[in-house]
Amino acid sequence: MSLFSEVRAATEEALTRREAPGQALAEDAERVARACYDMALRFHRGGKLIVFGNGGSSTDSNHVAVEFVHPVIVGKRALPAMALTNDPATVTGVANREGFEEVFAHQLRYFADPDDIALGLSPDGRCANVLRGLEVARDLGLLTVALAGGDGGSIAASPKLTHVLVARSTDPSVVKEIHVTTYHILWELVHVFFEHPGVLGPEVIK
Amino acid sequence: MGADRDEVSAAQATAGIEALYPFLYAEGERDVGAVLEEVRRSTAEKAAEIVELRRSVLEREAGRLAECAAAMAARFSAGGRLYAFGNGGSSTDAQEVATTFLHPPYGRPLPALSLTSDVAVVTALSNDVGFEVVFSRQIGAFGKPGDVAFGLSTSGGSGNVIAAFEEAGRRGMLTVGLAGYSGGKMAELEALDYLFVIPSASVHRIQEAQTTIYHALWELTQRALAATASQEAAVSR
Repeated sequence: MSLFSEVRAATEEALTRREAPGQALAEDAERVARACYDMALRFHRGGKLIVFGNGGSSTDSNHVAVEFVHPVIVGKRALPAMALTNDPATVTGVANREGFEEVFAHQLRYFADPDDIALGLSPDGRCANVLRGLEVARDLGLLTVALAGGDGGSIAASPKLTHVLVARSTDPSVVKEIHVTTYHILWELVHVFFEHPGVLGPEVIK
Repeated sequence: MGADRDEVSAAQATAGIEALYPFLYAEGERDVGAVLEEVRRSTAEKAAEIVELRRSVLEREAGRLAECAAAMAARFSAGGRLYAFGNGGSSTDAQEVATTFLHPPYGRPLPALSLTSDVAVVTALSNDVGFEVVFSRQIGAFGKPGDVAFGLSTSGGSGNVIAAFEEAGRRGMLTVGLAGYSGGKMAELEALDYLFVIPSASVHRIQEAQTTIYHALWELTQRALAATASQEAAVSR
C-alpha cells in the first residue's frame, strides 16, 4: 500500500471512531440541561466560573474562560470566568511545595467564593488534581461540574460531585472534541436561562 | 455559609423567596420545566449538527488531509519544527496543537511550540509594535525553511495570523491554515500551502470541527512517519 493510500484510509477510520461518541452526547441532553440550569442559578447569585484541567484540558480551561468572559455572539452578557492554569508561578510553586495534586485545590481554597462554580476537565476521569480540586470546591459550597471520558474513572465514582458528564470514548482526542461541543453548549444554554429570568428568582447582579 | 451548602439549600432559599414573591415563584416554577425542555432539545440538535458537519468535512477533505499530513511528516523527518498560532479560542487550539505533537498520547513526540503562550513576548510586541505582528515577529525569530507554520482563525480574517503566514511563506516554511465560513482572507492567501475551511455559520461548530481536523492531521502525521520508518527499515535490511 502506498504512503498516500495508507494515510488516506486512516482518515476514514478516524471519522468512524468519532461517530458514536458524537451521537451519544445527544443522549446526555437531559444532564447537560440540568447542569446549565444550576450554573445559571449560580451566575445569577453573583458566582463566577472557575475552570481547570491538565495537558490538553488546560487549553480547554482557557477556552471555557474566554467563552464566558468574551462571548462570540454579540449582545450576550459577559459572565465572570477564569482558568486555574494560567499562572505558572502559582502552578509550579504549589506543585513544588505541596505537590501537583494540590495545584487546583490550593487556588480554589484561597480564591473561590461559596457561590462559584468549579468546572474540572479530565479526559480519562483519573486526574488526581482535578478530583481533588472538585472535592475541595464542593466542601467550600461551590457547584461542581466535571467533564470526563472513558469509564469516568475516580471522578465519576466520587459521590461528592453534582454534575458529571462522561464522553463515550477512550480516545483522548475524541473525548476532547466532545468536551469542546459540551462546553460550547453549556455556555450557550446558560444564556437561555438568562432570557427567562423568572426561572432564576429575583435579580441579584445588575 | 456552611460547608455542606448545595443545590438542596438553594431550593430552600427559593422556598423563602416564594413567601416574599408568591406570583413570581408560581410563574417561575411553571417555566422551569419548559425552559429545561427547550435546553434539552437544543443540546440534542447541536450534538447532531456537529456530527453531520464533522462527517461532511472529513469526507470532503480526506485526500488533502492525507497529502498535508505526508508533507508535515516529511518536514519533521528532516528535522523541522511546528509553530502554532491563533487568537482567543483559537489560541487555546494552538496550544492544544503544540502539546499534542510535543507530548502525544501515543506515538513519537515531535518538536512543536505555540506562539501564544509567552505573555512577556505577546504583550511586549503588542505594546511596542502592534498586535498585528505578535506571531509574524516570532516566526521571523524562530522559523527556518524546513519548519511548519500552523495557524487557526474561525473567520479566516485575523490580521496577525495572515501576517504570520506571509512571513512563513517568505521563509519557505510549510504553511497550514484552518478557517471557517468561506475562508475569509485566508482563502485568497498565496502564502498558504494547505487551507482547510469549515463551512458553517456557527463559530462554535467551526471550532469543534477544526479540533477534529488538527487531531486528524496529528494522527495522520504519526501514521506517515511510522510508514516511512518501516519502509526505510525494509530498504536498509
